Amino acid sequence: MASKKFNTMVNPEKIKGDTRYGDLYKPHGKVRKRREWRGLGDTLYDYTRWMGILLTLGKFMVVPRNIKFFFRYRWMANYLAVPMMVDRFTQGLRGEYLRIAHEEQDLIIIDVAKLLGNLARGDRRVGNDEEFSKINVLVDENEMTAVMMGFPNLKCTSRETPSTYVPVLLNQHAVEHYLDVVQEYGLPGDVCPMPAAEAGTSMDDDAPILGACAIQCNTTCDGSLLSNGVLSRKLEKEDGIPVFQLPAPLRHKEEDVQDYAAEEIRRAIKFIEENTGHKWDWDYYFECARRVNIATKARNEWLDMNKTPYPQVFGGNLALYTETNYMAICGKVPEFERADKRITKLAEKAYKKQKMAAPEYRHRAIVWGVQSHFYMDFLVWLLNCWGIVPLTDMLSCINTEMIAETDTPENREQAYYDMAMLTEEMIMRNRTHGGYKVLLDDLFEFVEQFDADMIILWEHITCKALDGMHGLFEDRARDLGVPLMWVNHQLFDPRVVSRQGVRDQVNQFMRTVMQEEPLDPTLEILDDENSW
Amino acid sequence: MKKFLLKTLLYVLTGGLAFFVVTFTVYFFNLDMKLTSSLEPLLLKWYDRIPRNQHL
Repeated sequence: MASKKFNTMVNPEKIKGDTRYGDLYKPHGKVRKRREWRGLGDTLYDYTRWMGILLTLGKFMVVPRNIKFFFRYRWMANYLAVPMMVDRFTQGLRGEYLRIAHEEQDLIIIDVAKLLGNLARGDRRVGNDEEFSKINVLVDENEMTAVMMGFPNLKCTSRETPSTYVPVLLNQHAVEHYLDVVQEYGLPGDVCPMPAAEAGTSMDDDAPILGACAIQCNTTCDGSLLSNGVLSRKLEKEDGIPVFQLPAPLRHKEEDVQDYAAEEIRRAIKFIEENTGHKWDWDYYFECARRVNIATKARNEWLDMNKTPYPQVFGGNLALYTETNYMAICGKVPEFERADKRITKLAEKAYKKQKMAAPEYRHRAIVWGVQSHFYMDFLVWLLNCWGIVPLTDMLSCINTEMIAETDTPENREQAYYDMAMLTEEMIMRNRTHGGYKVLLDDLFEFVEQFDADMIILWEHITCKALDGMHGLFEDRARDLGVPLMWVNHQLFDPRVVSRQGVRDQVNQFMRTVMQEEPLDPTLEILDDENSW
Repeated sequence: MKKFLLKTLLYVLTGGLAFFVVTFTVYFFNLDMKLTSSLEPLLLKWYDRIPRNQHL
């Protein structure tokens, strides 16, 4: 069968400023030679947002206990690279695309800074504010926080998000130390490095200690259970923090598991009430539910736009924000509602003008599988180097349904099922668990819906969930005539497959299978192994 | 009074311009990241020296 072919779209507008992005890299360097020139207006805009980011970081560092916190925890050093992370994610972006990226990234930075401030305040080793510590409920890094939607006066605090998840976005080498610690103590080296690194911070005595109680979950995957065991043992037996296990059903599309899932949510809420003394607040829950719906509606609109020839919120702009807003925020932070509206406004403006983010769109791709976390700006690279538009990624294909948002007796009962559904539909696990329909069939439905002519399939080599489906993906793609490219990586560990190793797989596929030349040849090979 | 206001305005504008030139130079030539990247090895040495109760 002939391959599906997309006709190249050429941007009628010239991209202002730098277009040879590889020239900005310093060979073997940790940082780049200089920042990008984006034309006068966009460079000045980016400069003002850079100042804003420095202000956020500065505000954090003027608090004495935060300085103490910074010098206590090894992973805090990675936050030196915050401005560079934004530079990486905004590479090549101009106009509305640049503004959308900053709307998202700058807000995430503010939110993470607040989380770090809370950790420093409650941590027994640093701030040791016991009263404050009592209003913190610890959650896993990859855990849906829906069970906290009815507690307005409690803090939903993840220790793993700022100690392992965010640092790898900032610095590709961030958790290598913790992976080594884990293996020094005899834990296997061929497991997913995400839960391994989380266990590593705990074993290395590098996890803040605070909180009234903790909720652990089997999301994202079974690998989390490994680290949960290590973490909960320390929390309960050494730190005296009680832990609740919230097991979300794996076959989450089956009707007969939903009562069980809702019951687990009820039990988790009861556990929080008993350990904090705070009562569930339905007014606050439905306020959060309304904001969850606003976020879902906005994301649905962005994805609808991406089904047209002029996608607007895609690639890095879609992936990181969706993860944060869906999972960690879950309607609890009003600023994200305002950001959703501003992003939609910018996207609609660009859509009306039929704007394009790169000089050429050569392919429309669905990016599937578990992405390499140490190279999340790979999506930007795909666009700039090869003109491949990453329309959506697997982790952004989460819940699209509205939940009950008005306070009625029926909706109070429905709310438990809604929270269970949001938890079951957690990023990544809603695809990697639940049967081949959600992982395999849905991918090819998205290919049709988005009019994609290419599939980029991440293969996280220590993710057991996807490995068995390899041949099925290839068979189906072959049947439908859609070019499918595998990209191996190891999520958190660039020592196994480097960033250039990731790029090489794409470069080889594009040159040999697709017989194409890169849009920006300076990006094809980059000496960035030492880079943050 | 008018002279005083003009003088103040001139100082503010000059100060603002100097601030912009300095910070824009730092921004454009990535001097902030060059500085922080040179601090990282020192910090890692510091973290290595902190006594830790490392265990499974």
